[in-house]
Amino acid sequence: MNGEPIKLFVAKKIVTMDPATPTATAIAVQGDRIVGIGDSEDPELRKAAQIDDRFSQHILLPGFVEAHAHVMSGGLWEFPYVGFYERVDPTGRIWKGCGDIESVVERLVEYEEQMGDPTQTLIAWGLDPIFLEGDRLSASHLDQVSRTRPIFVFHASGHLATVNSEMMLKSGIDRHSPTPGVVRDGDGEPNGELQEPAAMSLALEGLSSIGKAIMSTEAKWNFGYEARNCGVTTVADLGTTRLALEGQLEAWREVTDEKNYPVRVVVAFGHYDSGASPTDIDALAGLAVRLRNEEETAKLRFGIVKLILDGSIQGFTARLSPPHYFDPPAGHQGNGLWLIPPEQMPKIVASYHKAGLTVHCHCNGDEASEVFIEAVEKALAEHPRDDHRHTVQHSQLTTAKQYKKMASLGMNANIFSNHIFYWGDQHAEITVGPHRAASMDACATAERENVKFSIHSDAPITPMSQLHTIWCAVNRQTASGKILGPGERIGIHKALEASTIDAAHQLRLDDEIGSLQVGKLADFTVLEADPYEVKPDKLKEIPVWGTVVGGVVHQAASD
Amino acid sequence: MSLSQAAIEVTVVGGYLGAGKTTLMNHILTESKDPVAVLINDFGDINIDSELIQSVDGNSIALTNGCICCSLVDGYVSALEELRCREPRPKRIIVEASGVADPASVAAYGHAPGFYLNAVVVMVDGANVMEQLNDSLVAQTVAVQIATADLIALNKKDLLSDFTTVRNELKKLNAEALITDCTNSEIDLDLLFGSEVVTKAAVSVEMNQFDSRSHTSSDPISRQALTEWIERLPDEVQRAKGVLRLDEEPEIPMVFQLVGRRWNLRALAERKNPPLGNQIVVVGPKGLVPEDWDVGLR
Ligand SMILES: [Zn+2]
Ligand SMILES: [Zn+2]
Repeated sequence: MNGEPIKLFVAKKIVTMDPATPTATAIAVQGDRIVGIGDSEDPELRKAAQIDDRFSQHILLPGFVEAHAHVMSGGLWEFPYVGFYERVDPTGRIWKGCGDIESVVERLVEYEEQMGDPTQTLIAWGLDPIFLEGDRLSASHLDQVSRTRPIFVFHASGHLATVNSEMMLKSGIDRHSPTPGVVRDGDGEPNGELQEPAAMSLALEGLSSIGKAIMSTEAKWNFGYEARNCGVTTVADLGTTRLALEGQLEAWREVTDEKNYPVRVVVAFGHYDSGASPTDIDALAGLAVRLRNEEETAKLRFGIVKLILDGSIQGFTARLSPPHYFDPPAGHQGNGLWLIPPEQMPKIVASYHKAGLTVHCHCNGDEASEVFIEAVEKALAEHPRDDHRHTVQHSQLTTAKQYKKMASLGMNANIFSNHIFYWGDQHAEITVGPHRAASMDACATAERENVKFSIHSDAPITPMSQLHTIWCAVNRQTASGKILGPGERIGIHKALEASTIDAAHQLRLDDEIGSLQVGKLADFTVLEADPYEVKPDKLKEIPVWGTVVGGVVHQAASD
Repeated sequence: MSLSQAAIEVTVVGGYLGAGKTTLMNHILTESKDPVAVLINDFGDINIDSELIQSVDGNSIALTNGCICCSLVDGYVSALEELRCREPRPKRIIVEASGVADPASVAAYGHAPGFYLNAVVVMVDGANVMEQLNDSLVAQTVAVQIATADLIALNKKDLLSDFTTVRNELKKLNAEALITDCTNSEIDLDLLFGSEVVTKAAVSVEMNQFDSRSHTSSDPISRQALTEWIERLPDEVQRAKGVLRLDEEPEIPMVFQLVGRRWNLRALAERKNPPLGNQIVVVGPKGLVPEDWDVGLR
């Protein structure tokens, strides 16, 4: 670093998240580190520095940290998007939402016309029938797109797909198909909808193409571009990559070593994805520790273990305490599903805890939060350890009492604030009812109970866009425009902390990123308006100019 | 039965943590002389037995239990694909569902082309099941598993003080499944597989309590005749299976399975070189299956 030139970025305003110097107008960078911060007229700062004033009309913040997304989000862009909500692709192109089946078909027709090879399968993603009125998408609609080319439309839930007649023919799906989940019309003929993995896997070509796309090198680049486009400088791939498999580490290494790769990636170690013997949690922990100790580079980080304990609220599979679900579909069992037997949690958590790792556990329902919190409590009783930062992920129904307990145990939360906008109306009307929905994703409660928390998109479940997530936490406005639980709104400063320093904290990177201080990495989010100055309901409309990552400038793509 | 030449038979073993799934898999591997491959769920019991299973032979594949949004082509699909391509193809595979899984979701894979489903066996921990069914955290998981079963194996009989109460509780959750009791997961393989199983020499005397009888014919059967035959089956017939043709669509080979009073009839997914005609095997306690059991089919 010594000897490298010093660059002084001059900005309209720099928000530091360092309480000692909350704002500044210039920041000096040498190599990938911050070496000075202060007033742009300060002669001490200007001395011997090249002045870079391209941000003189912009607002700089510590780079946003998206602590829960999946690299799959980048991989899906290999295929056309047919979801209900507008979405921006990695090149900055805006894909308008498809509000009805006609527009889904129209988009696919348009795309199909540009495809060369007439036998190549057309794959699309993002369909969410919950939002579309009228008929459900079926093979007959997709046959309007093509009767000769196989078509596979992957739904947003990840549990369903709809295929056309040619795909059914090719996959041997007919009226006699014995697999449950092959949906039939009134005459017993399959209508193209395939429910759950066993049925979807009959159309293996479609499913495995998506699987390949997700793990591809392009997926990793697109994931980086998506992050850059929304001002994110560090993103966690929370348990998509199967690190125990050969080649996965190398693939990430190759991409993140590129100077142009615009984001730091924390690749979490997925407990469930190890492929190792179940007797060997300690060996798994050893592998995760080795990755952290020996394989980290500037833009590739480890040390987080991901567990998944329950399902999702909108899928009625999250584990809720009584009174359980508000208006579940007919035939529902009452409560959700466990993905790990609750009795096993103490042992699993203890293994990773002992090894010095930080456990991030997917808990959508409060009953799941409870089981995880208790497991952490037991692990701590047996192996006292300071500063573990074990984190409740999603934390959608975590109660005030649970937050209080989490605070006393030193736990963190990462709250799924985007749910308020995308499914808030459904939560109030169908899944958990109006009262419980009002206290979902309770950022203000976490704040009151002194739990450090972050807020996330879980991309691709919802689009990655930190300003949108901040807007959700600050406004709690649903898609229909209602305010859901105004008492759980937080202020802009807290939302920014949750998106920078506190998110860095739960990824154990707050010594390097999350605030702008001398010695830390030069990671900035560059905005075109000041989030402290715009009206709260306009936060998501602030244009993102781009980012700086380790002193390297990355401009966002625009349409 | 020649069905196994067209397709691999899949048996799903479910049940909550500690119920004896792994022990059952070991029991099958030890007893069966036919080649059996086992798919072990890496999320199931944390049990040293799984190491034993893995060392038995090269026929076990550990499954991973990724969520669908993480690994799209999940462990089951790739493991089944591997087995389908193996030379020689195993005749049977046993798939272990995770301790919290609804075995039905695993059984759904048993209908993929190249496979057919034998039965869903759910192991029940006799010593702890009543407690589990009263535990708000796990009651629903355990109850759903029991309700999904074709064959319920009430295990750890030796540790069970009130057998009738437990059995009645299981009946309440699943009136139709066949309930058998055992210790150390030692289920009779004839009952489990619904056909005569060639066992290794070291079979305990106790194991051979069942007889099997078979029926073959060539003319397609009417759906009505089949249903009536099933309704009139003597209670002694605890298990029946086969492949047959219905007169409404004689070109489609249909797989028939009956366990206790639960039965189903589904098309065979793979129709290359399917078995011809009707072949049905029934299993019942030694000496108790009447001679004329198949009158209705003739
Ligand atoms: Zn999750
Ligand atoms: Zn996630």
